[in-house]
Amino acid sequence: MNEQPSHGATVVYLPGIAGHPANSPALDALGDAGWDVVVPRIPGLDGRSGFQPPDDYLGWLTVVWDSLDAAVDTLPCPVIGASLGGMLAADLAVLRPEAVTASVLLAPFGIFDEAEPGLDIYALPAAERMSHLFAKGVPDPFVERFAELGPDDGPVARYLSDVAAASLLWPLGDRGQAGRIHRIGCPTLVLWGELDELLPVAMSAAWAEHGLPVEVVAGAGHLLEWDEPDGVAGRLVEFLADFHDGA
Amino acid sequence: MKLLWFHLMPYPELPQDFNRKHRSVWVDVDPGLFDPEVVAAAYERYIDQLVHAEQCGFDGICVNEHHGNGYGLMPSPNVIASILATRTSRAAITVLGNSIALYDPPVRVAEEMAMVDLLSHGRLISGFPVGTSMDTCYAYSVNPGILRRKYHEGVDLVLKAWTATEPFAFNGRFTQMRYVNALPRPLQRPHPPIWIPGGGSVETWDYCSTRDYVYAALSYYGHLMAKETVGGYWRRVEENGKDPNPYRLAFLQFIGVADTDQEAHKLYKEPAEYFFNRSLHVYPGYADPPGYVTEASARARYKSQVRAVVRAKQAKHDLTWDEMVEKGYVVVGSPDTVRETLEDVARTFNCGHLLTMLQFGNMSDELTRHNSKLFGEKVAPGLRGLFADAEDHWWPANAVPV
Repeated sequence: MNEQPSHGATVVYLPGIAGHPANSPALDALGDAGWDVVVPRIPGLDGRSGFQPPDDYLGWLTVVWDSLDAAVDTLPCPVIGASLGGMLAADLAVLRPEAVTASVLLAPFGIFDEAEPGLDIYALPAAERMSHLFAKGVPDPFVERFAELGPDDGPVARYLSDVAAASLLWPLGDRGQAGRIHRIGCPTLVLWGELDELLPVAMSAAWAEHGLPVEVVAGAGHLLEWDEPDGVAGRLVEFLADFHDGA
Repeated sequence: MKLLWFHLMPYPELPQDFNRKHRSVWVDVDPGLFDPEVVAAAYERYIDQLVHAEQCGFDGICVNEHHGNGYGLMPSPNVIASILATRTSRAAITVLGNSIALYDPPVRVAEEMAMVDLLSHGRLISGFPVGTSMDTCYAYSVNPGILRRKYHEGVDLVLKAWTATEPFAFNGRFTQMRYVNALPRPLQRPHPPIWIPGGGSVETWDYCSTRDYVYAALSYYGHLMAKETVGGYWRRVEENGKDPNPYRLAFLQFIGVADTDQEAHKLYKEPAEYFFNRSLHVYPGYADPPGYVTEASARARYKSQVRAVVRAKQAKHDLTWDEMVEKGYVVVGSPDTVRETLEDVARTFNCGHLLTMLQFGNMSDELTRHNSKLFGEKVAPGLRGLFADAEDHWWPANAVPV
């Protein structure tokens, strides 16, 4: 991260259900627009050995916020959260409003609709899961993630990353956000992939009901910033322009 | 050695084309397939078969726990165990549920097991499986990331509830109670023997050996496939400084006995095919929730390409009868054939508790009783003398072996 010349404006990106394998084209575009994109290392999602999921969601929030505070010394700033990172970003905006100047939630978990249950990604054979996160094929960084660890350790790291994500989301990915997102006070934008298999786009209505503006990204799946990097990045840059100075 | 009679209580009338038209026998199996009248009759028949097993001379009778499952109709084994407690008088009542992490608070398990122990006058063996991923993570939606910690905490709570001499407070990570005072306490003191069913995780081997619980290797795939698991268990027993008492181990085996080898193959082919190709048709997506196995077990699994190949074959559910026999899924034949094989298995495995599966699939009541009777009369006598010098520290106080 932070490969682009700094313009003094930081944006935090909390990655999604499959972790953060590499800088994405969408984040690169943010960098080109002058943002220093910080991706905190979220324990567990990085696949490192020895991680034990917290006992509950409050424990998870503590882990994530400790990691965030260690990575970012320029809070408050805008926060982008994708998938499970969107759920965490929403709670950051609710519970630590002094830390967030604006938030963008990309197909966030956190609210489950019994009428639109979506695909249970963890009820698929492990080898089949990744392909359902994208509408346009699995990007190479996800295919190659952990390959450098070799044939023995690589699959274990991938498994451990899944363990962390699953423990945050099991069984429905609903951590009660419907009861508190009305407290989000910062400017917020919700983007949703039209072809999201995990969280069908109809589920976005639950976020809109709480006054959050929702926009649908055509042709994109769950990890929409990877499926439609140009479109998503363009909208991010536009939305975040007002917060470029970090104020 | 001790011989126990194990029942899964399968639904006996899954359609012939079940594995082609349905995704799974577990978790999301079509409830419309299950005729309540058929289930009611099956319960009555199956309970009678367990009672009959005691009459055939088995030392123990076993029930287990599954949820949303077409081959195991005992979501609460405690209900069946309570019936068996009063309909039998000698055999150990072996309950190889309860998956403690499923129950809040786990004190309910302590209470019900104590009731069964009292109803049976001290014949209970209390089994505490972690539970399969299908039962725990999917059918009961327990978060796999906390499942084992919640389970271990639950076992500790149950043990304390059984043995505490006064009410106590329990401040666990998953269960918090101001007052724990499980009444009644079990008849057996300090508590009933504890057996832990397992499928081969290193952690379970260590858990059993360090705590002196029986490890019950409960694969459906027979003695040849279980060699790796049993060997791994005994290595951990030794490394943990424990003695190799054969009664530390229980092992499950499907068995079919007839007067001749030829007749046995004729009799047991259909129920075995029903079980392995129809009842065991489980959607692979339910087998691997992230977090269900620990990092150490995941590491071992990814290095074991052999086991991966085996799993792939199992998942096909197109096994032939010859394959089932050749691979040891079913030990089948005349009394002499079966006894020779099981004696060899018992000696090789150093296994003092054999869990015999003499009813499987859609096996008729008549054939089940025939199988049990022949085993009791002509196979069991040749096995009982094994490990006569070893002391079984894991047998209920008032269960009387033959």
